[in-house]
Amino acid sequence: MAETVASIAALTRAAATTATAYRGRLLAGLLTTFFPLLLMAVWLTVVATSGPPRGWTAPDFISYYAAASLLWHLSGQNVIWQWDEDIRGGDFSIRLLRPVHPFWQYAANDLGQRLVMLGLAAPVFVAATLVLPQLGYHLTAVRLLATVVAVLLAYAVSITMASLVALLGFWSTQTTNLWMLWWGLGSFASGWIAPLEVMPGWLRSTAEWLPFRTTMGFPVELMTGRLSAAETAFGFAVGLGWLALFTVLYLVVWKPGVRRHQAVGG
Amino acid sequence: MNGTRRWADHVRIILICWRATVAAEFQYQANFLAGLTLSIFWMVWAAAGLAVYFQFTGDLLGWTYPELLVVTGLFFTVNGIRQAVLQPNLQQITEYVRLGTLDFLLTKPADTQLLVTLRRLNVGNLLDPGLGLIFIVVGFVLSDAPVGWNLLTFLLLFATSLLALYALMVLLMAMAVHLIGGTELQQIAYGAVELARFPVQLYRDPFQAVLTVVPVVLLTTLPAEALLGRLSPYWLVAGPAITAVSLVVSRLAWLRVLRAYSGASA
Amino acid sequence: MAIDVDALVKRFFVNRRSPGLRSSIRHVLRPERHEVTALSGVSFRMTQGEIVGFLGPNGAGKTSLLKCLSGLLHPTEGSARVLGHVPHRREPAFLRQISLVMGQRNSLFWDLPALDAYEVNRTIYQIPRREYTESLDELVELLRLQSLLRKPVRVLSLGERMRCELAGALLHRPRVLFLDEPTLGLDVTAQSAVRSFLADYNRRYGATILLTSHYMADVTALASRVIVIDHGTLRFDGDLTTLTRRYADHRVVKVRLTERAPLGALDVDTVTDDGLTVSLRVSTDDVPAVAARVLAVLPVEDLSIEEPPIDEVVRAVFADG
Repeated sequence: MAETVASIAALTRAAATTATAYRGRLLAGLLTTFFPLLLMAVWLTVVATSGPPRGWTAPDFISYYAAASLLWHLSGQNVIWQWDEDIRGGDFSIRLLRPVHPFWQYAANDLGQRLVMLGLAAPVFVAATLVLPQLGYHLTAVRLLATVVAVLLAYAVSITMASLVALLGFWSTQTTNLWMLWWGLGSFASGWIAPLEVMPGWLRSTAEWLPFRTTMGFPVELMTGRLSAAETAFGFAVGLGWLALFTVLYLVVWKPGVRRHQAVGG
Repeated sequence: MNGTRRWADHVRIILICWRATVAAEFQYQANFLAGLTLSIFWMVWAAAGLAVYFQFTGDLLGWTYPELLVVTGLFFTVNGIRQAVLQPNLQQITEYVRLGTLDFLLTKPADTQLLVTLRRLNVGNLLDPGLGLIFIVVGFVLSDAPVGWNLLTFLLLFATSLLALYALMVLLMAMAVHLIGGTELQQIAYGAVELARFPVQLYRDPFQAVLTVVPVVLLTTLPAEALLGRLSPYWLVAGPAITAVSLVVSRLAWLRVLRAYSGASA
Repeated sequence: MAIDVDALVKRFFVNRRSPGLRSSIRHVLRPERHEVTALSGVSFRMTQGEIVGFLGPNGAGKTSLLKCLSGLLHPTEGSARVLGHVPHRREPAFLRQISLVMGQRNSLFWDLPALDAYEVNRTIYQIPRREYTESLDELVELLRLQSLLRKPVRVLSLGERMRCELAGALLHRPRVLFLDEPTLGLDVTAQSAVRSFLADYNRRYGATILLTSHYMADVTALASRVIVIDHGTLRFDGDLTTLTRRYADHRVVKVRLTERAPLGALDVDTVTDDGLTVSLRVSTDDVPAVAARVLAVLPVEDLSIEEPPIDEVVRAVFADG
């Protein structure tokens, strides 16, 4: 157990070092932070022309999407691309030869990159909260702690979900397309297209039970102080449930998957 | 006991292989079908995403839902061409520089700019412009826009849009030769086109002003306005003029970079 | 027994499809499966510390064999045991005792110096600090890596990269080392550096080495025992001298002339004729007679009698089929 943790730490460090080796790429990645802000801009137009939808004012939207921009960098989806590339290129064999489960190898690789991105984006975010009056998070110590845990849970769910879809790469060449479909559908339920409160009621109710909200909407809603204690507890329960489910599914699908890879060859 | 176990393994493995074969059969078809499905999906996704805003309002700063569909259709067209033409060739040019193929191309009697920008084509991505056209037509029909000169001005501004994209491409190519950094430049192209998902008015000032100067407005907003019969005379002239200037500027940049390149390798 | 392979069979099912839409549709309804047998009943054993060279043309099954033994492939039939483990179960205890190096495939981090990858390996393979430092120092010395370790792997030449790869693969002192075409694409100096290193390493640590190659020189330099595989079957298992003696029925007489001269009078097969350097293919029994005739008739500067290139010998093994 301790050795696995040490291995993950070592791999993460290497991934982080690699990420910092290419400043241009980092910058480009950081620039993509503006995508959520595009959606926000249109919402601000809605507020300006027909009043706050469901009571969401301009500062509400700004706080929401600023936090969402940060969480945008915490997606585990690189796992899909890396896995797909490795299997196609034959480099997957190298992963199999190491005495560390490939799940951890890919997760560590992603985590390394994420940490570097967050290292750059988070200070900008914090500075923005201090400078811009619209970004009011009013965090109490308890809420801050809950937010941090929610963010960790968001990443964990995102990574396990992505890894599970990546496993399909043992059978299909279309995992990247599958993932985009999954993500696209999920974007309505995660709070990405719009804050869930602003979505039609049926969508909001359904989304509360889905894993997508755990990866983005839940931590952001928590951070902007929109959830009661009961709702927070519920959100955590749903998130942990999905984490458990994805983990179990991964373990179940892994064995036949790797067997298939060994039968058919890299 | 051992014998039966081996036999069962044997059977299982053969079944896996047979299933693998059948699946592999579909590979090429799978890629095509997956691409088509995903393209259709993203269009539906965009249409649904737009609809969310329209829960609260009948129009966004004068843009009704069908009119925004026209913009979305244009976005898909431009994006599709970006993926079919800009992306593969931009990717190639860094290879050309690294492998010295650019030298080889420079000796050919054809214009290097044309050779380098249009050599490769990702045919699969040409689905998107086709599908985009559907949205443009549907949006146009539903929007009660008149049929008359606006069709001609639309064609003019549509051509302008594509040429503006081409000018951007040439500029990025020149930067690629000069800087040899492919991925970041792809992100610039991607980001620029993403900004054109909505008409610039929706971003409101100050962003609207910025995007009018940096000619994102050319890509989708102007052709849409032209089709809907509300293009101002100013933009009818300014649009094509800006594009013409961009083409000249980007060509000059390209020639300059080539001269420096040849000088450098001499 | 470090390695015990018994009647190993590996079959793949591959599509065979003609181009065109109609045949694609036909294939959806009635897929034409084509069975490829990579290995058909290969058996052999190796003791700890042996070096065996696996020879064979491309597609012979050598790589499949190595992949079966390192756990990457699951055998269709038969069994393989490496260090007492069943490879395809991929137990961590097993993986920590082996190493697979594939020529032209990179296990180091592309953008980082090799040293960073070594550090990661140290943790993954649970190498104690002291042992790691000792191994590293030794490998750096043997492979002359001092100036290479801190450069990003991507700026190294193919030969330098291979040497770094090898070091990385040996840090944990594996008991079994699988090498798949390790000198592929390397220049002559790098090739000989890799070969002498491997021979030295085997002497010091008694590692069992399985080496596939289609460069004869790899095998002659390193392995006393040779296994020839062709079309998935084991054609020959023994030492090189036996191989040569059994299958080489001729010699190559190399002559360097002082000036050009007609060769017709010799009445032998000329293999190459560069004007001044001539190689003659002479059946073993005729060698003394031909050599005498050459010296008498031609303006000879130098003459040597060589074994046939082993490629030819190996080809003869295949032809014997």
